[in-house]
Amino acid sequence: MIRSLFLIYGIAVLSVLSLAEYRGWSLNRVSEVPNVPKSVRDNPGSYRSVYGYYHHYTGGK
Amino acid sequence: MNSGPTPAGAPQVKSLNCPNCGATLTVRSFSHAVTVVCDSCHSILDAQDPKLKILQTFQVATDEDPLRIPLGIRGTIRGAQYDVIGFQRRTIHVDGTPYSWHEYVLFNPFKGFRYLTEYNGHWNDVSVLRALPVCSPGSSTLNYLGETYRIFQTADAETTFVLGEFPWQVRVGESAQFSDYISPPRVISSETTGKEITWSMGEYMTGGDVWKAFKLPGSPPAAIGVYENQPSPLRAEIKSLLQLAGIFLAILVVLLIGFYATAQDEQIFDQSYTFNTNVKSESSFVTDVFELKGRTSDVELTTTAQVENNWIYLNYALINEETGHAYDFGREVSYYHGYDSDGSWSEGSRRDTVVVPSVPAGHYYLRVEPESDYYRGTIYYSITLRRDVPQLSFFGLGLLALLIPAGLITWRFMNFEHLRWAESDYGGESGGSDDDDDDGGGKIAAVAGAAGTVAGFVADVLEDE
Repeated sequence: MIRSLFLIYGIAVLSVLSLAEYRGWSLNRVSEVPNVPKSVRDNPGSYRSVYGYYHHYTGGK
Repeated sequence: MNSGPTPAGAPQVKSLNCPNCGATLTVRSFSHAVTVVCDSCHSILDAQDPKLKILQTFQVATDEDPLRIPLGIRGTIRGAQYDVIGFQRRTIHVDGTPYSWHEYVLFNPFKGFRYLTEYNGHWNDVSVLRALPVCSPGSSTLNYLGETYRIFQTADAETTFVLGEFPWQVRVGESAQFSDYISPPRVISSETTGKEITWSMGEYMTGGDVWKAFKLPGSPPAAIGVYENQPSPLRAEIKSLLQLAGIFLAILVVLLIGFYATAQDEQIFDQSYTFNTNVKSESSFVTDVFELKGRTSDVELTTTAQVENNWIYLNYALINEETGHAYDFGREVSYYHGYDSDGSWSEGSRRDTVVVPSVPAGHYYLRVEPESDYYRGTIYYSITLRRDVPQLSFFGLGLLALLIPAGLITWRFMNFEHLRWAESDYGGESGGSDDDDDDGGGKIAAVAGAAGTVAGFVADVLEDE
Protein backbone atom coordinates (compact mmCIF):
# COMPACT_ATOMS: atom_id res chain seq x y z
CA MET A 1 0.00 0.00 0.00
CA ILE A 2 2.70 2.47 1.08
CA ARG A 3 4.87 1.33 -1.80
CA SER A 4 2.07 1.97 -4.28
CA LEU A 5 1.45 5.42 -2.83
CA PHE A 6 5.15 6.24 -2.94
CA LEU A 7 5.36 4.96 -6.51
CA ILE A 8 2.51 7.24 -7.58
CA TYR A 9 3.97 10.12 -5.58
CA GLY A 10 7.45 9.68 -7.05
CA ILE A 11 6.13 9.48 -10.61
CA ALA A 12 4.07 12.62 -9.96
CA VAL A 13 7.10 14.49 -8.59
CA LEU A 14 9.29 13.53 -11.53
CA SER A 15 6.51 14.33 -14.01
CA VAL A 16 5.90 17.79 -12.54
CA LEU A 17 9.66 18.38 -12.43
CA SER A 18 10.02 17.40 -16.09
CA LEU A 19 7.06 19.55 -17.10
CA ALA A 20 8.47 22.49 -15.14
CA GLU A 21 11.82 22.17 -16.86
CA TYR A 22 10.33 21.61 -20.30
CA ARG A 23 7.92 24.52 -20.08
CA GLY A 24 10.45 26.78 -18.40
CA TRP A 25 8.60 27.43 -15.17
CA SER A 26 10.23 29.68 -12.62
CA LEU A 27 10.01 30.34 -8.92
CA ASN A 28 10.34 34.08 -9.57
CA ARG A 29 7.41 36.41 -9.37
CA VAL A 30 6.69 38.08 -12.69
CA SER A 31 3.53 39.99 -13.56
CA GLU A 32 1.98 39.52 -16.95
CA VAL A 33 0.39 42.50 -18.64
CA PRO A 34 -1.73 41.92 -21.75
CA ASN A 35 -2.20 44.31 -24.64
CA VAL A 36 0.63 46.74 -24.13
CA PRO A 37 0.15 49.39 -26.86
CA LYS A 38 2.65 49.45 -29.67
CA SER A 39 3.19 53.14 -28.94
CA VAL A 40 5.37 52.17 -25.98
CA ARG A 41 8.10 51.41 -28.41
CA ASP A 42 8.10 55.03 -29.56
CA ASN A 43 7.34 56.49 -26.15
CA PRO A 44 8.79 54.27 -23.41
CA GLY A 45 7.82 56.74 -20.69
CA SER A 46 4.15 56.15 -21.37
CA TYR A 47 4.38 52.69 -19.89
CA ARG A 48 3.81 52.41 -16.15
CA SER A 49 5.52 49.46 -14.56
CA VAL A 50 3.74 47.40 -11.93
CA TYR A 51 6.87 47.72 -9.82
CA GLY A 52 7.34 51.46 -10.27
CA TYR A 53 6.76 52.27 -6.59
CA TYR A 54 9.19 49.71 -5.23
CA HIS A 55 10.72 50.69 -1.89
CA HIS A 56 14.44 50.82 -2.47
CA TYR A 57 16.94 49.70 0.11
CA THR A 58 19.56 52.36 0.61
CA GLY A 59 21.24 50.87 3.62
CA GLY A 60 24.54 49.24 4.10
CA LYS A 61 26.10 48.32 7.39
CA MET B 1 3.38 -37.76 34.11
CA ASN B 2 2.15 -38.41 30.63
CA SER B 3 2.75 -35.34 28.53
CA GLY B 4 1.53 -36.50 25.15
CA PRO B 5 -1.88 -35.86 23.72
CA THR B 6 -4.65 -38.17 24.77
CA PRO B 7 -6.10 -40.49 22.21
CA ALA B 8 -9.58 -39.43 23.19
CA GLY B 9 -11.84 -37.35 21.02
CA ALA B 10 -13.39 -34.31 22.63
CA PRO B 11 -11.76 -32.85 25.72
CA GLN B 12 -12.82 -34.72 28.80
CA VAL B 13 -14.21 -32.94 31.82
CA LYS B 14 -13.99 -34.31 35.32
CA SER B 15 -15.68 -32.86 38.41
CA LEU B 16 -14.01 -32.98 41.81
CA ASN B 17 -14.54 -31.30 45.12
CA CYS B 18 -12.01 -29.13 46.90
CA PRO B 19 -10.87 -30.88 50.09
CA ASN B 20 -10.42 -27.51 51.73
CA CYS B 21 -13.71 -25.73 51.04
CA GLY B 22 -15.82 -28.34 49.26
CA ALA B 23 -16.32 -26.25 46.15
CA THR B 24 -16.71 -28.08 42.87
CA LEU B 25 -13.59 -28.24 40.70
CA THR B 26 -13.67 -28.85 36.97
CA VAL B 27 -10.67 -30.58 35.40
CA ARG B 28 -10.59 -30.33 31.61
CA SER B 29 -7.15 -31.70 30.85
CA PHE B 30 -8.05 -34.75 32.92
CA SER B 31 -5.00 -36.95 33.52
CA HIS B 32 -2.67 -34.26 32.19
CA ALA B 33 -3.44 -31.96 35.11
CA VAL B 34 -0.70 -32.00 37.72
CA THR B 35 -2.06 -29.22 39.88
CA VAL B 36 -5.48 -27.64 40.03
CA VAL B 37 -6.40 -24.44 41.81
CA CYS B 38 -9.68 -24.00 43.67
CA ASP B 39 -11.44 -20.85 42.48
CA SER B 40 -13.20 -20.45 45.84
CA CYS B 41 -10.51 -20.83 48.50
CA HIS B 42 -7.43 -20.57 46.25
CA SER B 43 -5.92 -23.83 47.39
CA ILE B 44 -3.41 -25.39 45.03
CA LEU B 45 -4.24 -29.11 44.91
CA ASP B 46 -2.31 -32.13 43.70
CA ALA B 47 -4.43 -33.31 40.78
CA GLN B 48 -2.47 -36.56 40.56
CA ASP B 49 -3.46 -37.48 44.13
CA PRO B 50 -6.87 -39.18 44.40
CA LYS B 51 -7.45 -37.26 47.63
CA LEU B 52 -6.42 -33.95 46.06
CA LYS B 53 -3.75 -33.17 48.60
CA ILE B 54 -3.50 -29.47 49.39
CA LEU B 55 -0.09 -28.26 48.22
CA GLN B 56 -0.48 -24.57 48.97
CA THR B 57 -3.07 -21.97 49.89
CA PHE B 58 -2.57 -18.36 48.94
CA GLN B 59 -4.31 -15.05 49.57
CA VAL B 60 -5.87 -13.11 46.72
CA ALA B 61 -6.00 -9.35 46.62
CA THR B 62 -9.48 -7.88 46.46
CA ASP B 63 -8.54 -5.75 43.47
CA GLU B 64 -7.36 -8.72 41.44
CA ASP B 65 -7.51 -8.04 37.69
CA PRO B 66 -10.26 -9.96 35.90
CA LEU B 67 -9.13 -12.51 33.33
CA ARG B 68 -9.17 -11.28 29.75
CA ILE B 69 -10.13 -14.77 28.59
CA PRO B 70 -12.46 -16.73 30.90
CA LEU B 71 -11.38 -20.24 31.90
CA GLY B 72 -13.28 -22.99 30.14
CA ILE B 73 -13.79 -21.06 26.94
CA ARG B 74 -12.78 -22.73 23.69
CA GLY B 75 -11.05 -21.10 20.76
CA THR B 76 -9.23 -21.95 17.56
CA ILE B 77 -5.47 -21.44 17.37
CA ARG B 78 -3.62 -22.49 14.20
CA GLY B 79 -6.58 -24.52 13.03
CA ALA B 80 -6.97 -26.56 16.24
CA GLN B 81 -9.44 -26.06 19.04
CA TYR B 82 -8.07 -25.37 22.49
CA ASP B 83 -9.72 -24.99 25.87
CA VAL B 84 -8.45 -22.31 28.22
CA ILE B 85 -7.78 -24.29 31.39
CA GLY B 86 -5.32 -22.28 33.45
CA PHE B 87 -4.17 -18.80 34.19
CA GLN B 88 -1.22 -17.36 36.04
CA ARG B 89 0.20 -13.95 36.63
CA ARG B 90 3.92 -13.41 36.79
CA THR B 91 5.56 -10.39 38.27
CA ILE B 92 8.91 -8.75 38.36
CA HIS B 93 10.00 -5.87 40.55
CA VAL B 94 12.00 -2.98 39.19
CA ASP B 95 13.09 -0.37 41.73
CA GLY B 96 10.40 -1.63 44.03
CA THR B 97 7.64 -1.32 41.45
CA PRO B 98 5.86 -4.54 40.44
CA TYR B 99 5.17 -5.23 36.76
CA SER B 100 3.02 -8.17 35.76
CA TRP B 101 1.98 -10.10 32.69
CA HIS B 102 -0.57 -12.82 32.19
CA GLU B 103 -0.27 -16.35 30.91
CA TYR B 104 -3.13 -18.60 29.81
CA VAL B 105 -2.77 -22.39 29.61
CA LEU B 106 -4.51 -23.88 26.56
CA PHE B 107 -5.22 -27.58 26.08
CA ASN B 108 -6.20 -29.79 23.18
CA PRO B 109 -6.35 -33.56 23.75
CA PHE B 110 -4.65 -34.25 20.41
CA LYS B 111 -2.21 -31.35 20.27
CA GLY B 112 -1.35 -31.05 23.96
CA PHE B 113 -0.63 -27.74 25.63
CA ARG B 114 0.18 -24.31 24.34
CA TYR B 115 0.10 -20.91 25.99
CA LEU B 116 -1.06 -17.38 25.42
CA THR B 117 0.74 -14.52 27.10
CA GLU B 118 -0.45 -10.97 27.35
CA TYR B 119 1.17 -7.72 28.44
CA ASN B 120 -0.18 -4.24 27.76
CA GLY B 121 -2.43 -5.56 25.01
CA HIS B 122 0.39 -7.48 23.26
CA TRP B 123 -0.17 -11.22 22.88
CA ASN B 124 2.05 -14.19 22.10
CA ASP B 125 1.15 -17.70 21.06
CA VAL B 126 3.73 -19.84 22.87
CA SER B 127 4.67 -23.49 22.51
CA VAL B 128 7.54 -25.64 23.72
CA LEU B 129 10.49 -26.06 21.39
CA ARG B 130 10.97 -29.64 20.25
CA ALA B 131 14.62 -29.05 19.30
CA LEU B 132 17.32 -27.13 21.08
CA PRO B 133 18.47 -23.83 19.59
CA VAL B 134 22.16 -23.45 18.82
CA CYS B 135 23.70 -21.01 21.24
CA SER B 136 27.42 -20.26 21.45
CA PRO B 137 28.79 -19.50 24.91
CA GLY B 138 29.04 -15.77 25.46
CA SER B 139 27.16 -15.01 22.27
CA SER B 140 24.31 -12.53 22.20
CA THR B 141 22.54 -14.50 19.50
CA LEU B 142 21.25 -17.99 18.99
CA ASN B 143 20.19 -19.90 15.94
CA TYR B 144 17.08 -21.98 15.53
CA LEU B 145 16.13 -23.67 12.26
CA GLY B 146 18.43 -21.36 10.33
CA GLU B 147 17.04 -18.18 11.84
CA THR B 148 19.12 -15.91 14.06
CA TYR B 149 17.63 -14.56 17.27
CA ARG B 150 19.16 -11.67 19.24
CA ILE B 151 19.22 -11.43 22.99
CA PHE B 152 16.70 -8.91 24.25
CA GLN B 153 16.17 -9.25 27.97
CA THR B 154 17.01 -11.27 31.02
CA ALA B 155 15.03 -11.09 34.25
CA ASP B 156 13.80 -12.96 37.32
CA ALA B 157 10.06 -13.35 37.66
CA GLU B 158 7.79 -14.62 40.41
CA THR B 159 4.45 -16.37 40.08
CA THR B 160 1.98 -14.18 41.95
CA PHE B 161 -1.43 -15.61 41.07
CA VAL B 162 -2.73 -18.90 39.66
CA LEU B 163 -6.14 -20.21 38.71
CA GLY B 164 -7.41 -23.37 36.99
CA GLU B 165 -5.27 -26.37 36.16
CA PHE B 166 -1.66 -26.77 35.20
CA PRO B 167 0.44 -29.55 33.70
CA TRP B 168 3.20 -28.87 36.22
CA GLN B 169 3.62 -28.34 39.96
CA VAL B 170 2.68 -24.69 40.08
CA ARG B 171 3.25 -22.63 43.21
CA VAL B 172 2.60 -19.03 44.07
CA GLY B 173 5.89 -17.44 45.01
CA GLU B 174 8.09 -19.64 42.85
CA SER B 175 10.59 -17.75 40.71
CA ALA B 176 12.68 -18.41 37.63
CA GLN B 177 15.16 -16.59 35.41
CA PHE B 178 14.13 -15.82 31.86
CA SER B 179 16.04 -14.79 28.77
CA ASP B 180 14.36 -13.69 25.56
CA TYR B 181 15.90 -13.82 22.08
CA ILE B 182 13.94 -12.11 19.35
CA SER B 183 13.48 -12.29 15.63
CA PRO B 184 10.16 -10.54 15.14
CA PRO B 185 7.48 -11.75 15.02
CA ARG B 186 9.00 -14.64 16.96
CA VAL B 187 10.69 -14.84 20.32
CA ILE B 188 12.60 -17.76 21.80
CA SER B 189 12.63 -17.81 25.56
CA SER B 190 14.68 -19.80 27.97
CA GLU B 191 13.60 -20.39 31.54
CA THR B 192 16.05 -21.51 34.15
CA THR B 193 14.79 -23.12 37.34
CA GLY B 194 17.51 -24.83 39.30
CA LYS B 195 19.44 -26.95 36.82
CA GLU B 196 16.63 -27.14 34.27
CA ILE B 197 16.57 -24.94 31.18
CA THR B 198 13.42 -24.96 29.11
CA TRP B 199 13.08 -23.41 25.70
CA SER B 200 9.88 -22.15 24.13
CA MET B 201 8.91 -20.11 21.11
CA GLY B 202 6.33 -17.36 20.98
CA GLU B 203 4.80 -15.75 17.93
CA TYR B 204 3.26 -12.32 18.15
CA MET B 205 -0.51 -12.01 17.97
CA THR B 206 -2.67 -8.93 18.08
CA GLY B 207 -5.51 -8.60 20.53
CA GLY B 208 -7.86 -8.72 17.57
CA ASP B 209 -6.45 -12.13 16.57
CA VAL B 210 -7.07 -13.46 20.09
CA TRP B 211 -10.56 -12.00 20.29
CA LYS B 212 -11.40 -13.53 16.95
CA ALA B 213 -9.90 -16.91 17.88
CA PHE B 214 -11.99 -17.17 21.06
CA LYS B 215 -15.00 -15.22 19.79
CA LEU B 216 -14.75 -12.91 22.77
CA PRO B 217 -17.29 -10.12 23.15
CA GLY B 218 -16.31 -6.48 22.81
CA SER B 219 -12.93 -5.35 21.65
CA PRO B 220 -9.48 -6.21 23.00
CA PRO B 221 -7.58 -3.72 25.13
CA ALA B 222 -5.44 -1.41 23.02
CA ALA B 223 -1.80 -2.39 22.74
CA ILE B 224 0.47 0.06 24.52
CA GLY B 225 3.94 0.78 23.20
CA VAL B 226 6.09 -1.45 21.03
CA TYR B 227 6.55 -5.02 22.22
CA GLU B 228 9.80 -6.94 22.02
CA ASN B 229 8.80 -9.22 19.13
CA GLN B 230 6.07 -7.05 17.65
CA PRO B 231 6.60 -7.03 13.88
CA SER B 232 7.22 -3.61 12.42
CA PRO B 233 4.41 -2.63 10.07
CA LEU B 234 7.05 -1.22 7.71
CA ARG B 235 9.58 -4.06 7.82
CA ALA B 236 8.18 -5.80 4.77
CA GLU B 237 8.04 -2.58 2.77
CA ILE B 238 11.06 -0.59 3.86
CA LYS B 239 13.48 -2.35 1.51
CA SER B 240 11.33 -1.97 -1.57
CA LEU B 241 10.55 1.63 -0.61
CA LEU B 242 14.22 2.50 -0.37
CA GLN B 243 14.89 0.71 -3.65
CA LEU B 244 12.11 2.73 -5.22
CA ALA B 245 13.54 5.95 -3.77
CA GLY B 246 16.91 5.00 -5.26
CA ILE B 247 15.32 4.44 -8.67
CA PHE B 248 13.57 7.81 -8.47
CA LEU B 249 16.83 9.53 -7.56
CA ALA B 250 18.58 7.83 -10.48
CA ILE B 251 15.81 9.03 -12.82
CA LEU B 252 16.20 12.51 -11.32
CA VAL B 253 19.91 12.49 -12.18
CA VAL B 254 19.14 11.25 -15.72
CA LEU B 255 16.59 14.04 -16.13
CA LEU B 256 19.11 16.58 -14.84
CA ILE B 257 21.75 15.43 -17.32
CA GLY B 258 19.17 15.19 -20.10
CA PHE B 259 17.75 18.68 -19.63
CA TYR B 260 21.19 20.25 -19.30
CA ALA B 261 22.38 18.41 -22.40
CA THR B 262 19.41 19.31 -24.57
CA ALA B 263 18.63 22.84 -23.36
CA GLN B 264 19.28 25.66 -25.85
CA ASP B 265 20.87 27.86 -23.16
CA GLU B 266 21.45 30.41 -25.88
CA GLN B 267 22.45 34.01 -25.34
CA ILE B 268 20.04 36.16 -27.29
CA PHE B 269 20.76 39.63 -26.01
CA ASP B 270 23.71 41.37 -24.42
CA GLN B 271 23.99 45.13 -24.14
CA SER B 272 25.72 47.67 -21.91
CA TYR B 273 24.18 50.95 -20.76
CA THR B 274 24.86 53.96 -18.61
CA PHE B 275 22.53 55.75 -16.24
CA ASN B 276 23.40 59.32 -15.32
CA THR B 277 21.83 60.02 -11.94
CA ASN B 278 22.76 63.68 -12.11
CA VAL B 279 20.21 64.33 -14.86
CA LYS B 280 16.54 64.49 -13.88
CA SER B 281 14.86 63.38 -17.08
CA GLU B 282 12.89 60.46 -18.44
CA SER B 283 15.17 57.50 -17.99
CA SER B 284 13.12 54.76 -19.62
CA PHE B 285 14.08 53.35 -22.98
CA VAL B 286 13.46 50.30 -25.14
CA THR B 287 15.95 47.90 -26.65
CA ASP B 288 16.18 46.60 -30.15
CA VAL B 289 13.86 43.75 -31.05
CA PHE B 290 15.28 40.26 -30.62
CA GLU B 291 13.87 36.87 -31.42
CA LEU B 292 13.09 34.12 -28.94
CA LYS B 293 13.13 30.79 -30.75
CA GLY B 294 11.97 27.31 -30.00
CA ARG B 295 9.22 26.03 -27.72
CA THR B 296 7.72 27.95 -24.83
CA SER B 297 10.53 28.15 -22.35
CA ASP B 298 12.15 30.39 -19.80
CA VAL B 299 14.24 33.49 -20.33
CA GLU B 300 17.01 34.28 -17.88
CA LEU B 301 17.86 37.96 -17.50
CA THR B 302 21.10 38.94 -15.83
CA THR B 303 21.85 42.49 -14.74
CA THR B 304 25.39 43.47 -13.92
CA ALA B 305 25.90 46.98 -12.52
CA GLN B 306 29.06 48.75 -11.41
CA VAL B 307 27.68 50.07 -8.14
CA GLU B 308 29.86 51.13 -5.22
CA ASN B 309 27.96 51.65 -1.98
CA ASN B 310 25.04 52.43 -4.20
CA TRP B 311 22.05 50.84 -5.81
CA ILE B 312 20.23 50.80 -9.08
CA TYR B 313 16.71 49.59 -9.59
CA LEU B 314 15.51 48.57 -13.02
CA ASN B 315 11.88 48.30 -14.00
CA TYR B 316 11.80 45.70 -16.74
CA ALA B 317 9.09 44.82 -19.20
CA LEU B 318 9.73 42.05 -21.69
CA ILE B 319 7.19 42.89 -24.39
CA ASN B 320 6.08 40.79 -27.32
CA GLU B 321 6.18 43.12 -30.28
CA GLU B 322 3.38 41.31 -32.10
CA THR B 323 0.87 40.54 -29.34
CA GLY B 324 1.65 43.30 -26.86
CA HIS B 325 1.87 40.74 -24.06
CA ALA B 326 4.37 41.90 -21.44
CA TYR B 327 6.24 40.30 -18.58
CA ASP B 328 6.69 43.01 -16.00
CA PHE B 329 9.18 42.80 -13.16
CA GLY B 330 11.71 44.88 -11.28
CA ARG B 331 15.20 44.04 -10.08
CA GLU B 332 17.56 45.82 -7.78
CA VAL B 333 21.30 45.63 -7.90
CA SER B 334 23.07 47.02 -4.86
CA TYR B 335 26.46 46.56 -3.37
CA TYR B 336 27.81 48.01 -0.15
CA HIS B 337 31.13 47.43 1.48
CA GLY B 338 33.40 49.02 4.04
CA TYR B 339 35.58 48.50 7.05
CA ASP B 340 34.80 48.85 10.74
CA SER B 341 35.93 47.51 14.12
CA ASP B 342 34.86 44.01 13.08
CA GLY B 343 36.99 44.18 9.97
CA SER B 344 35.92 44.48 6.37
CA TRP B 345 32.33 43.84 5.40
CA SER B 346 30.21 43.76 2.29
CA GLU B 347 26.63 43.08 1.40
CA GLY B 348 24.66 42.78 -1.76
CA SER B 349 26.02 41.94 -5.17
CA ARG B 350 26.77 43.69 -8.42
CA ARG B 351 25.04 40.94 -10.31
CA ASP B 352 21.42 39.84 -10.30
CA THR B 353 19.67 37.09 -12.22
CA VAL B 354 15.97 36.51 -12.69
CA VAL B 355 14.10 33.86 -14.65
CA VAL B 356 11.04 34.88 -16.63
CA PRO B 357 8.89 31.75 -16.87
CA SER B 358 7.21 30.18 -19.87
CA VAL B 359 7.82 32.74 -22.55
CA PRO B 360 6.49 31.69 -26.00
CA ALA B 361 8.60 32.13 -29.10
CA GLY B 362 8.32 35.46 -30.87
CA HIS B 363 9.86 38.87 -31.37
CA TYR B 364 10.39 40.79 -28.18
CA TYR B 365 11.97 43.92 -26.87
CA LEU B 366 12.79 45.14 -23.42
CA ARG B 367 11.45 48.30 -21.91
CA VAL B 368 13.91 49.38 -19.21
CA GLU B 369 13.50 52.13 -16.62
CA PRO B 370 16.45 52.59 -14.28
CA GLU B 371 16.17 54.35 -10.92
CA SER B 372 18.65 55.35 -8.27
CA ASP B 373 19.45 58.15 -5.85
CA TYR B 374 20.03 61.47 -7.53
CA TYR B 375 23.48 62.93 -7.96
CA ARG B 376 25.38 59.69 -7.48
CA GLY B 377 27.18 59.97 -10.79
CA THR B 378 26.96 57.59 -13.71
CA ILE B 379 26.14 53.95 -13.18
CA TYR B 380 27.33 51.48 -15.78
CA TYR B 381 25.28 48.37 -16.18
CA SER B 382 24.70 45.59 -18.67
CA ILE B 383 21.75 43.36 -19.48
CA THR B 384 22.09 39.81 -20.75
CA LEU B 385 19.29 37.50 -21.85
CA ARG B 386 19.56 33.74 -22.26
CA ARG B 387 16.87 31.47 -23.65
CA ASP B 388 15.87 27.99 -22.36
CA VAL B 389 18.15 27.80 -19.33
CA PRO B 390 17.75 24.69 -17.13
CA GLN B 391 16.74 25.57 -13.57
CA LEU B 392 18.69 23.66 -10.95
CA SER B 393 16.24 24.85 -8.30
CA PHE B 394 13.57 22.46 -9.62
CA PHE B 395 15.94 19.53 -9.35
CA GLY B 396 16.72 20.59 -5.80
CA LEU B 397 13.03 20.74 -4.97
CA GLY B 398 12.47 17.40 -6.70
CA LEU B 399 15.29 15.88 -4.68
CA LEU B 400 13.74 17.19 -1.47
CA ALA B 401 10.29 16.03 -2.50
CA LEU B 402 11.63 12.51 -3.02
CA LEU B 403 13.91 12.39 -0.01
CA ILE B 404 11.44 13.74 2.55
CA PRO B 405 8.85 10.92 2.31
CA ALA B 406 11.60 8.31 1.96
CA GLY B 407 13.27 9.83 5.00
CA LEU B 408 10.03 9.93 6.95
CA ILE B 409 9.28 6.29 6.18
CA THR B 410 12.82 5.31 7.15
CA TRP B 411 12.54 7.38 10.31
CA ARG B 412 9.25 5.70 11.22
CA PHE B 413 10.81 2.29 10.73
CA MET B 414 13.91 3.19 12.73
CA ASN B 415 11.82 4.82 15.44
CA PHE B 416 9.78 1.63 15.78
CA GLU B 417 12.98 -0.34 16.22
CA HIS B 418 14.32 2.30 18.61
CA LEU B 419 11.18 2.02 20.75
CA ARG B 420 11.51 -1.75 20.70
CA TRP B 421 15.16 -1.75 21.77
CA ALA B 422 14.67 1.02 24.28
CA GLU B 423 12.98 -1.66 26.36
CA SER B 424 15.93 -4.01 26.05
CA ASP B 425 18.73 -4.68 28.49
CA TYR B 426 21.03 -5.05 25.54
CA GLY B 427 20.44 -1.82 23.66
CA GLY B 428 19.88 -3.36 20.25
CA GLU B 429 22.98 -3.10 18.10
CA SER B 430 25.80 -3.27 20.62
CA GLY B 431 24.50 -6.01 22.79
CA GLY B 432 25.87 -4.22 25.83
CA SER B 433 23.98 -4.17 29.11
CA ASP B 434 22.15 -1.01 30.06
CA ASP B 435 20.21 -1.76 33.16
CA ASP B 436 20.13 1.85 34.28
CA ASP B 437 17.71 2.78 31.55
CA ASP B 438 15.52 -0.19 32.01
CA ASP B 439 11.98 0.07 33.23
CA GLY B 440 9.34 -2.38 34.18
CA GLY B 441 8.06 -2.61 30.63
CA GLY B 442 11.46 -3.79 29.48
CA LYS B 443 11.66 -6.47 32.10
CA ILE B 444 8.14 -7.53 31.31
CA ALA B 445 9.06 -7.73 27.66
CA ALA B 446 11.95 -9.89 28.65
CA VAL B 447 9.99 -12.48 30.42
CA ALA B 448 6.58 -12.42 28.89
CA GLY B 449 7.78 -14.79 26.23
CA ALA B 450 6.51 -17.22 28.78
CA ALA B 451 9.07 -19.92 28.60
CA GLY B 452 8.47 -20.19 32.29
CA THR B 453 4.97 -21.33 31.75
CA VAL B 454 6.17 -24.62 30.42
CA ALA B 455 9.21 -25.16 32.61
CA GLY B 456 7.52 -27.17 35.30
CA PHE B 457 5.66 -29.13 32.69
CA VAL B 458 8.84 -30.18 30.92
CA ALA B 459 10.56 -30.86 34.21
CA ASP B 460 7.78 -33.28 35.10
CA VAL B 461 8.10 -34.98 31.76
CA LEU B 462 11.78 -35.51 32.37
CA GLU B 463 11.07 -36.87 35.79
CA ASP B 464 8.59 -39.38 34.33
CA GLU B 465 11.12 -40.54 31.82
